[in-house]
Amino acid sequence: MNRRGFLQLIGATGAAALTASSNRINSVLGTLSSPAQLVRFPEKAEMILLTDRPPQLETPLHYFRQDLTPNEAFFVRWHLEGIPTSVDLRTFRLNVTGHVRQPSQLSMDELRSQFEPISIIAVNQCSGNSRSFFEPRVPGGQWKHGAVGNAKWTGVSVKSVLDRAQVKPGAVDVSFNGLDVPPLPSVADFVKALAIDHARDGEVMIAYAMNDHALPMVNGFPLRLVVPGWYGTYWVKALSDITVLPEAFSNFWTDKAYRIPSGPNGTESPKDMAKDTVPINRFNVRSIFVRPEPDDTLHPGMPAEMEGIAFDSGHGIRRVEVSTDGGGTWTDARLDPELGKYSWRRWKASWTPRNRRPYRLMARATNAKGETQSKGQWNRSGFMWNVISEVDVKVG
Amino acid sequence: MFLSLGLAALAVSCGRPSSISKESMLDSKPDNPVHTIVMPHDEPVFPPGPGRNEFVTACVVCHSPRYITMQPRFSRTTWLSEVKKMKDVYGAHISDEQALKITDYLVSINGKPDTGQAPQGTYGE
Repeated sequence: MNRRGFLQLIGATGAAALTASSNRINSVLGTLSSPAQLVRFPEKAEMILLTDRPPQLETPLHYFRQDLTPNEAFFVRWHLEGIPTSVDLRTFRLNVTGHVRQPSQLSMDELRSQFEPISIIAVNQCSGNSRSFFEPRVPGGQWKHGAVGNAKWTGVSVKSVLDRAQVKPGAVDVSFNGLDVPPLPSVADFVKALAIDHARDGEVMIAYAMNDHALPMVNGFPLRLVVPGWYGTYWVKALSDITVLPEAFSNFWTDKAYRIPSGPNGTESPKDMAKDTVPINRFNVRSIFVRPEPDDTLHPGMPAEMEGIAFDSGHGIRRVEVSTDGGGTWTDARLDPELGKYSWRRWKASWTPRNRRPYRLMARATNAKGETQSKGQWNRSGFMWNVISEVDVKVG
Repeated sequence: MFLSLGLAALAVSCGRPSSISKESMLDSKPDNPVHTIVMPHDEPVFPPGPGRNEFVTACVVCHSPRYITMQPRFSRTTWLSEVKKMKDVYGAHISDEQALKITDYLVSINGKPDTGQAPQGTYGE
C-alpha cells in the first residue's frame, strides 16, 4: 500500500467515515503544504490537531490578530498520557514542602484570600514552536508557528507562598509538579525546577486565572506556574506540589530532556553536533507573520496590510522591519504600544503589491539589547526557532 | 456519552462544525466545585504488515498513534533511535527483537532512504 492509501485508511476509520470526505486526511502528516486538521476539545475552540493522547493542539494563526489569545484557543501541550480530567476544588490542595519550616497545604480559597493577587501579561511559547520548519526535519511535535500565546495571568507570586512556608537557609532549587501522571512506572513524572532566586523573584507566579477566567482543564486548571520570559516547559500545568530543595534538582526532564546546545542561540549542525548542552531557558527574539497568511492571494494595486507579533524574554521589542523583496530592502513596521515587558508586541505595515507574481514577505524583530533574529538555525531537538519570518504570497 | 463526545470531535475534525460538538463544552459552573471534562479519542486503524502487532501492542499503550503519523518521513536510523528511546529511556515493555520489528513497521508506513547522517531527536520534544 502506498503512503496516500495508508493515510486514507487512517481517515476512513475516523473522521472520513462519518463525513464521506477524505480530502483533509493528509493533514495527519503535518507537512507544510497540507491543510490543517481542526478538532474541538472540551472547553476549546477548533484547533489544529497534532496529537489527541496526550493532547497537543495548535492555535490557528488568525487568533494572533488580537493582543490576548483567547483561553479557548490557547495552545495545548502535555507530555504524559495521564492528564487530569477532573478536579474537586473541595479537596484540591497546593502542597508546599521540602526545605521549609512551615510546610503548607493551600486550598484555592486560601490562595485567593490570603495572598495579594498579582497580574501580568506574558507570552507562553513551547520550546518546540515552529519545529516543522527546521531542515533537516527533526522528530517531535510538528508545530508550525501556533504553539504560542499571550495572556493576562492572575494569581499569587511564588515568592509570597514560599515566604509563608519560611524557606530554610541553604535552599538551592524549587521543583514544581502537576497532577499529570506517567502511563508506566518507568516513565519519569513530569517535574521541572527553577533556581531558588529565580523562583523568588516576585514575577514567577501561580496563576489561578487566565484572561480573567478559570483556566481550561487542558491548559492547567486549577493552577498553572507562570515563568515570564521562559519557555513553556517550565510553566507546569495543574500545579499541585512545590518542593524546596537544599540541592540541585535532577530528573529526566531536566538532565536529558529540554536541553539545547550551549553555543549561541542553541544552534549546532547535523554534521557537528554540540557536545555541551544546557537546560533550555529564556526566549530568544522572534517575530511571527500573522497576515497575510501563507499562500494568501493579494491583488495588484490594492493596499494589503501586513501584521504580526514580536517578543523576546523581557528586554522589550524596539524595532520590527519588513521586506517585500525577499530581504533586499527593509522598512520599519509600526509598533503597537507595549503591554508589559513580557507581552508580545503587535506590528503592522502597509504595502501595495504592483505586479502579478509570487512575493516573499519577511519580518525581522530587534530588542532593546540589539539582539535580532537568526538567518539560519538548526538543533537536534527543533527548539528555539527564531529565523527571520517569511511568508510566501501570490499577487494575481 | 463518551461515544457521542468522541464522534463529535471526529466529525468536526473534518472541517464540518457539528451541533453536537457543543456537548463537549462541559464548562464548570461557579457553584460546582468539581470540574470535569471528557476527552475525545481518535483511534485510527493501521494497515497490515510485518511489525504491526508489536506496534499496536507496545506503542499505543502510552500515546496516540498520531505521534507517528504527524511526523515527516524519517530514515530507518531515526526511527530506530526513536524506538530505542521508547524502550531504553521511557521503559516500553518490548524486547530488542520487537523493537526491530516495530522499526520495520514504522519505516514501511512513514520511512525514507537512509542518508547516513540522519538527525536524531532528543527527549521531551
